[in-house]
Amino acid sequence: MTVTAPPPVDDAGPDSRPAPVPPRPRRRHRVGRVTKAGPLTYVLLVLAALVSVFPLYWTAVAGSHTNAEIAATPPPFLPDADLFTNIGRAMDEAPIALALVNTVVVAGCITVGTVLCCTLAGFAFAKLRFRGNKVLLGLVIGTMMVPTQLAIIPLFLLIAELEWVNQLQAVVLPTLVTAFGVFFMRQYLSSALPDELLEAGRMDGASTTRIFWSIVVPVARPAMAVLAMLTFLTAWNDFFWPLIALTSDNPTVQVALAGLGGGYVPDRAVIMAGTLIGTLPILVVFTVLGRHIVGGIMQGAVKG
Amino acid sequence: MSTVTFAQATRVYPKSDRPAVDALDLHIGDGEFLVLVGPSGCGKSTSLRMLAGLEEVDSGAVLIGDRDVTDLPPKSRDIAMVFQNYALYPHMTVEANMGFALKLAGVGRAETARRVAEAAKILDLEDYLHRRPKALSGGQRQRVAMGRAIVRDPQVFLMDEPLSNLDAKLRVQTRTQIARLVQRLGTTTVYVTHDQVEAMTLGDRVAVLRDGVLQQCDAPGVLYDRPANVFVAGFIGSPAMNVVTGPAVEGGVRLGGAVLPVPRDQLARAAAGTGRVTVGFRPEDVQLVGPGAGVPVVVNVVEQLGSDAFLYTKLAAEHTDDVLHPSDVVVRTEPRTAPAQGDQLHITVREGRLHVFDPTTQRRVD
Repeated sequence: MTVTAPPPVDDAGPDSRPAPVPPRPRRRHRVGRVTKAGPLTYVLLVLAALVSVFPLYWTAVAGSHTNAEIAATPPPFLPDADLFTNIGRAMDEAPIALALVNTVVVAGCITVGTVLCCTLAGFAFAKLRFRGNKVLLGLVIGTMMVPTQLAIIPLFLLIAELEWVNQLQAVVLPTLVTAFGVFFMRQYLSSALPDELLEAGRMDGASTTRIFWSIVVPVARPAMAVLAMLTFLTAWNDFFWPLIALTSDNPTVQVALAGLGGGYVPDRAVIMAGTLIGTLPILVVFTVLGRHIVGGIMQGAVKG
Repeated sequence: MSTVTFAQATRVYPKSDRPAVDALDLHIGDGEFLVLVGPSGCGKSTSLRMLAGLEEVDSGAVLIGDRDVTDLPPKSRDIAMVFQNYALYPHMTVEANMGFALKLAGVGRAETARRVAEAAKILDLEDYLHRRPKALSGGQRQRVAMGRAIVRDPQVFLMDEPLSNLDAKLRVQTRTQIARLVQRLGTTTVYVTHDQVEAMTLGDRVAVLRDGVLQQCDAPGVLYDRPANVFVAGFIGSPAMNVVTGPAVEGGVRLGGAVLPVPRDQLARAAAGTGRVTVGFRPEDVQLVGPGAGVPVVVNVVEQLGSDAFLYTKLAAEHTDDVLHPSDVVVRTEPRTAPAQGDQLHITVREGRLHVFDPTTQRRVD
């Protein structure tokens, strides 16, 4: 037996039955709006991703051609086979390997130092009661307004006096604490670390040092991860001060890159090849730690 | 175990001209359960924190046993505290939370494990020892906070509103658990709450504070039956005691056109100077009498609780002029035969249940 559904009846028809109430798709769409992305969102995201990735891609393309090929019109858009030749030339021109090791040491020390010092100072400013707390914090934040360039000459004189020119500590030491980091950790700890937790620690018999290591650091970990990432990036990419404090015999990556492709016509292929090896370690770090770092940012946002 | 003594202990917060705790004198016996109670801002938490060493003592002293601990840091006082929001270390397991103090004190690993296991058994936490606080319910967290205090076997327990973050039912359950636990351990306990039911049910003695000043410290029954002043009378008991002030006349106080009898010498002392007298009576001490006798009132609201009914009444309108505090007069009655809204009643107070206060000093007159 087959049942034939009655044909849809036009509402305007003279003997039409009451039409079934149509569902309200618009309403449903609104409810889902927060969680579901539409096609436009995807298009915009893809565009943003392309724009972000392009410089890196262009570095790889340019680094794998000869200088003449890059200069041609239209420029090449696909990688070529000259990458390792160019890298080899870059390494002949500047001590890139040494620079990479130097930069890892410098950025690593700066990151560990900054995160530690800023967490300590942030904790003190956020939670310890001492005379002049607010004035000191104001002073620390005030230093953010002093441009780096202004401090360069006195700093260099100091470094020269210490006979540290062309030594890594000349780059590491002046950046061991940043005002931004202190402020960032203070803000985070002010809101994420309840006073009762510290009081519980004191009741349990912990000294302030012990409280710092056993209670404050675990609570501050997400913010510390974010600060570490930002600091490592800044230190890795820092150019101005290392260029002044170091020479091409003992450079960081950025200083070494600056010395590449010199001559009457800059050799852009070599520069790009060098830049590529200077960037890869950071990419690796991010690929490996990205999940942690993004997790850290999120955790910070909702207070763990 | 030990005694605790506050001797004229005073705390004035910086930038405040009024002391948060004003010359507190209080002696807490060995093994006693003392409850500090009062409205918010009365200084009860500050007093507890002074005892804990988390708050400075500006003048006076705090003693634990015979030892003056006024200037000692918290860790040298041999006390343990349960915080209102529990303050569990979020990154440590229940076991580590409970054992942290012992670890810091240099107690051996085996001994720590034994004591933690023992406390976990008492508090029914054995299945949760390896969880983090995040994975526990409110009641379980509360028990971990208790456990953290009892593993230390301190001289004194301090508890700062430990039940206020629990829902009503769990609060009642946990309240009895705490009472049983503390009784079993026999440790001196100072407990802060703003909830007078908690205070009455838990405390061996209850200290009522207001604006940093101790009002009265007595056993719950005494506090209820013989409040030292109008504030304590109104604070302890739910619904609160009815307190009214009226002109003293021959034989009593005139309320709503009728005279509520007050014993002669009490009346004379209370009314000396002002000619007025403040009287208080609890809802359950009110008797309904026939017309012609007693104070006429009109029923505004009837509150049915099942076991009781509370009538919120007003003194009959034409007679309220000479009476201060003409707020609701609350009357407890049988729920099944409760009068209806709008009914006019005549009330009187059971013999010997009238509390008399001096309207100027607000103190009790016996």
